[in-house]
Amino acid sequence: MDPRNMPDMRTPLARAMGLGSAKEGVGAWWAERVSAVALVPLALWFAASIIAHTGSDYATFIVWLKTPLAAILMILLLIALFYHTALGLQVVIEDYVHSATKFAAVIAVRLGCCALATAGAVAILRIALSD
Amino acid sequence: MMPSPTITRPRPLSPNIQIYRPQLTSVLSILNRITGIILSGCAVVLVVWLVAAAWGPHAYAPVQAAIASWIGRIVLFGATFAFFLHLCGGIRHLVWDTVHGFELRSIYISGWSIVAASVVLTVAAWVVSALMGG
Amino acid sequence: MIIKSSDQVSRATLLKRFPIPRNFGVASESRIERGKAWPAPDGATRTKIFEIYRYNPDSGENPRLDTFDVDLDDCGPMVLDALIWIKNKVDSTLTFRRSCREGICGSCSMNIDGTNWLACTRFISDLATPATIYPLANLRIVKDLVPDLTHLFAQYAAIEPWLKTKTTEPERERLQSARERRKIDGYYECILCFCCTSGCPSHWWNGDRFFGPAVLLQAWRWLTDSRDEAKEERLDNLEDPFRLYRCHTILNCTRTCPKGLNPGKAIAEIKKMMIERRS
Repeated sequence: MDPRNMPDMRTPLARAMGLGSAKEGVGAWWAERVSAVALVPLALWFAASIIAHTGSDYATFIVWLKTPLAAILMILLLIALFYHTALGLQVVIEDYVHSATKFAAVIAVRLGCCALATAGAVAILRIALSD
Repeated sequence: MMPSPTITRPRPLSPNIQIYRPQLTSVLSILNRITGIILSGCAVVLVVWLVAAAWGPHAYAPVQAAIASWIGRIVLFGATFAFFLHLCGGIRHLVWDTVHGFELRSIYISGWSIVAASVVLTVAAWVVSALMGG
Repeated sequence: MIIKSSDQVSRATLLKRFPIPRNFGVASESRIERGKAWPAPDGATRTKIFEIYRYNPDSGENPRLDTFDVDLDDCGPMVLDALIWIKNKVDSTLTFRRSCREGICGSCSMNIDGTNWLACTRFISDLATPATIYPLANLRIVKDLVPDLTHLFAQYAAIEPWLKTKTTEPERERLQSARERRKIDGYYECILCFCCTSGCPSHWWNGDRFFGPAVLLQAWRWLTDSRDEAKEERLDNLEDPFRLYRCHTILNCTRTCPKGLNPGKAIAEIKKMMIERRS
């Protein structure tokens, strides 16, 4: 008999209990909420800035991004945004992917968000600190 | 207790999403997820845009041209709506996390409110943008 | 448009089902085929068409959707009355669970016109035409409208739904103030019909590990009972990315509860208690 087709003979209670409680999960839930609270003002500020700068040329945009407030808030936005994105996408992957691909996908998302946040921050610093 | 017939014919699974009625609850929830995924894509575009800006005007120009093209504007309009819907939906979720607003009446009023607010905010954003000189 | 209580049936619906193919992603043994059209009753003036999910485990066939014409002048006002009329007058093999016929035992929970409810407390006059009756969503079907609830009850057993104490038993009652007793109002009344769990999309996709609204509501019932002394252990058992945190506050549960209870709120209270114990 093919071992892959062997019936699951666990009791219903054993199936429901699975591997037991991980005894953790509140950390990720809380972090998603904290990053969300940070994103409300930061994202609104960003949207308002973009709208206010509609039609401005490259030079005006750079001058604005060089100001300390804009540079600092943009970096904070990137941190909050990619932290929130990584946590959110991880939850989506865990919901729908149930094979071993799940772990690869979660790692890819986390590392990708770190890389993108770093790239964005370096770009902002390059603009803000250059003359 | 009868064993589950996995070697003999398995029992059929009753239909779920194929027949369950879409309600404001489930529709707004899946929209919050879809807009979140769209915004993740926008986050990538944001970084591309910033890196292009840091690289100099010759790198920035094609990125800016792509955003300003007619297809870029349509995408940007959709992204703006996705942004406001996810923002308002997110605030609704934060309120629920304080264990407020769980009566059905509140759920439905807040639900319709965020749809209306998102539409209004999207239109307002684009009108203001047009007035600013877009 | 604004639903004030769960027994309100939406008059207007933009979409009766999500816009996906009928047998989308469905395993071959679960595909629903076209079924029998049973003869209409003679001489009936007021009839209503019911489309009912049928499955016979002994026939070797796939499930199908049968069409029945029910004589409304010959049967009572509730959906359960229509099912009993069909069983008595048309097809005696139609199988469904039922007991109290007054909305308290939870036996006749099923999917009626796309949402889960008790057949004995749903008026026929509130139904669409044709009315569609399916078993509770996302469960293995034993026969016709009878789902296998074994896994759901096993998840219920996993939260240890009984009073757990360490203090020695008192001489008489375990004391509880009126205010403390009010804390379990809205939770102890659950009849374990599983309409909520069966309607939860998160439980559809992760029902093997996610406990679902019914079980989590009962978990809250024991957490908020002042006489219980095992809060730490209960919270430890619930704090899991799947057991508790697959809940994304979709709120189909609160919308569909035939007893007007609020599982969504109960789960939010559990999540709040999780934060409170570490801050």
